[in-house]
Amino acid sequence: MPREIPEGVTEVRIRIGGPAGFGIKAAGQSLARVFTRAGYETADLTEYPSLIKGGHNTYHLRICDRPIHSHVLDTDILVALDKDTVTKHLGELTEGAAVIFDPKDFSMDDVEGVRDDLCIIPVPMTDIIYEVEGKKIMRNTVALGAVLGHMKFPLSFLEESIEEQFSHKDPSIAEVNKRCAQAGYEHAGKNGCSFPYDMGPIERDEPRILIDGNEAIGLGALAAGIGMYCAYPMTPASSLLHFMARHGEDRGVVVKHTEDELAAMNMVVGGAFGGARSMCATSGGGFSLMTEAFGLAGVSESAVVVGLFTRPGPATGMPTWTEQSDLRFALHAAQGEFPRVVLAPGDRDDAFHLTWQAFNIADVLQTPVILLGDSYISDNRSSVPPFDTSRVTIDRGKLVAEGEVTDYLRYRVTEDGISERALPGVKGATQVVNSYEHDEYGYGAQGENADVRIAQNEKRMRKMDLARDIVPPPGYYGPDEADLSVLLWGSTKMPVREAMSWLADEGVSVNMMQVVTLWPFPAEEVAEFLGKAKHSAIIEGNYTGQLQSLVREQCLLDVERTLHRYDGRPFAPEQVYEFVKEVLG
Amino acid sequence: MPGVKEYTTPNWPTWCPGCGNFGMWEALKRALSELDLDFHEFSVVWGIGCHGNGADFLRTHGFHALHGRALPVAQALKLARPDLKVIVEAGDGDGYGLGLGHYVHALRRNIDLTYIAHNNQIYGLTTGQASPTTDQLMRSPSTPKGVLEEPVNPIGLALSEGATFVARGFAGDIPHLTDLYKQAIEHKGFAVVDVFQPCVTFNRHNTFPWFRERVYKLEEEGWDASDAVAAFDLSLSTFHDLTCEPDECRVPVGVYYRKEGVATYEENLTAYGDPLWKRATQPRDISDLLEKFS
Repeated sequence: MPREIPEGVTEVRIRIGGPAGFGIKAAGQSLARVFTRAGYETADLTEYPSLIKGGHNTYHLRICDRPIHSHVLDTDILVALDKDTVTKHLGELTEGAAVIFDPKDFSMDDVEGVRDDLCIIPVPMTDIIYEVEGKKIMRNTVALGAVLGHMKFPLSFLEESIEEQFSHKDPSIAEVNKRCAQAGYEHAGKNGCSFPYDMGPIERDEPRILIDGNEAIGLGALAAGIGMYCAYPMTPASSLLHFMARHGEDRGVVVKHTEDELAAMNMVVGGAFGGARSMCATSGGGFSLMTEAFGLAGVSESAVVVGLFTRPGPATGMPTWTEQSDLRFALHAAQGEFPRVVLAPGDRDDAFHLTWQAFNIADVLQTPVILLGDSYISDNRSSVPPFDTSRVTIDRGKLVAEGEVTDYLRYRVTEDGISERALPGVKGATQVVNSYEHDEYGYGAQGENADVRIAQNEKRMRKMDLARDIVPPPGYYGPDEADLSVLLWGSTKMPVREAMSWLADEGVSVNMMQVVTLWPFPAEEVAEFLGKAKHSAIIEGNYTGQLQSLVREQCLLDVERTLHRYDGRPFAPEQVYEFVKEVLG
Repeated sequence: MPGVKEYTTPNWPTWCPGCGNFGMWEALKRALSELDLDFHEFSVVWGIGCHGNGADFLRTHGFHALHGRALPVAQALKLARPDLKVIVEAGDGDGYGLGLGHYVHALRRNIDLTYIAHNNQIYGLTTGQASPTTDQLMRSPSTPKGVLEEPVNPIGLALSEGATFVARGFAGDIPHLTDLYKQAIEHKGFAVVDVFQPCVTFNRHNTFPWFRERVYKLEEEGWDASDAVAAFDLSLSTFHDLTCEPDECRVPVGVYYRKEGVATYEENLTAYGDPLWKRATQPRDISDLLEKFS
């Protein structure tokens, strides 16, 4: 059942679908830009298989004149660049929804189950591009024009966007694209389908940026003064490598596409040894290759930040889809015991702020910090207020970067477990930064003495006490007292917040605790939250209940209900809404 | 100028008496001293193996990395720290087994590093298994009927991937090795010195006497180190019969090939310049970038 849009709210959901290689995501993102600039809130969801041509790709865009938190399942306007798209998405079309397609591709008569209430808008996209002497890829632009034409939304925003998009190319390209958009606009406008809103640009108090999670993390790393970024391409982390290569190098970041993930992680440790703020990012498979060097960062007390952006595993799994099944992997990766911090952004604002904070935490604790994200947050964009860069601070901890030290011991046993970290080049700072257990100087042979091992192991593990004081606290949303209390982590925050707002409209109160720092685990806070709950649930995107097992282990508590998802798709707010209704009977 | 002895630490080496690593240790200390490199001016990165235990015996600002992974650490250190000379010490199992991929890619890059391979043609620290450079048909606990593979040819690999300084040394000739190290450290670009250093405990075949009967110095025979193709031919001396007579499998040591004036990786890197820690002293201004997302 499609959700009813409340009175007075303008909300439109658009899906563009077709085979890979048709520029569907780029086209959809232009549309998102158009509406974001026109003052609307937007959230998108790109879904695509791991291939370059063919298959079924879709881009879904939600536009609203009120704050929104996530994508939704309904579609009001479907742009079908092939027949498959109509067949696959008929079920999500709302009453009176429009279907825009090119009669050259297929006939709507051949599609089974097309409802009478749907408004079919044939747009001769192929003919139009021949008329204006455009290229095949410009069918997208015709389609975008048609979407706006159906909505009777001023075309000027799209024209502006086109001019900007092709500003670095021959002006004729922008011109042809604009003609495509115009023709599509006119065709759809003439079709006579009704559209429920009279939409134009709206005034907004504060500006918006349109950004995905990897871009937010990239900006956070840049703001934090990152000096080295090393990575091997792996979905969904690759776009962060592209971001860094494109924007980082000119801003003083050494960006290296390495021969493999082993090199990436080891290089990041080497960069940190030299004093650079260093980061790598990958997905589960790449992190599997990184685990030994991740442990090296732990024992050598190297300040590194590792992005682990997860997708369904094991092994190659489902490369372009999303899942939250690597929480335990992040907590336990690498042999032996050593301190680590695991932070999980729940939305784009979190992604920015947790990234610069991760660098500070890594430097202060001299230990690796994982940013645990997933495809859902990495790959998809939403409109958010520009990040508050005035909050960014740099704390490099007990770092001595130049000058001279005396009586220096790299791994001096201290009360808080943190030793002074003098970089190569500092006079008097000879030392061995070591993958072996070691003594205070860093010598490996002495590390095998029982008392030295105990002293160094305890010194390192003491850093977790300090970590508890400096890591970001959990996030709390909703009323203090609620009918249902939901515990979650990571990107699930977005659809759950969305569902919470729908439920609040109906007088159903739900509150939510987002575990931002997964390690060290905020056991006291979680216990307090669950202790006050009338009813409790955990929502997480995996099969085994990894957060739930942590709650059991760390708090000796459990929740009443759980909701899991492991089909590669993110939780939808509709699904969360239904779950809450069912739990509360 | 630090004297040779100043590069030692309070730890006396735990290598077997007579181990080839002693000669390499001594030669490196002499080279550092003769090049007048003070302790804050260079850094050494070791892999894991008998050679790697040398991290305890050389006074420096060192990094004892993972098995096979010294090169990525060292390359990153150099990219982060243009102000330092960076030396990498690796073993044959370490660098040509587990780390072979990193070796080939490091060669392609020509980052300004000195790569010293402790090549004893055996796994010493794990008690004598065949290594990637063990001669074909030699028996070992992991290959009781003899190694079936051809050995890795580190010199040939270096030449085929565009290395700009390729040398081979012998741990039994410390003055000669010292000179090779000095040339390698002073060379701008990725300098490879593969050093035969007999394992006196586990390699009963490639012993000091075996080498002494076969080693000859290239420079004494008028070798032209500018000819990469001839150097590659010379590197094929790696492949020989296990039981070859001295005159059938001579071991050329010295500089096989060198090419000056080749741009290093970092020279072409936009972001390379001052030490990278200087880029994290205050938050970087990203307002122009944020604008691009509006």
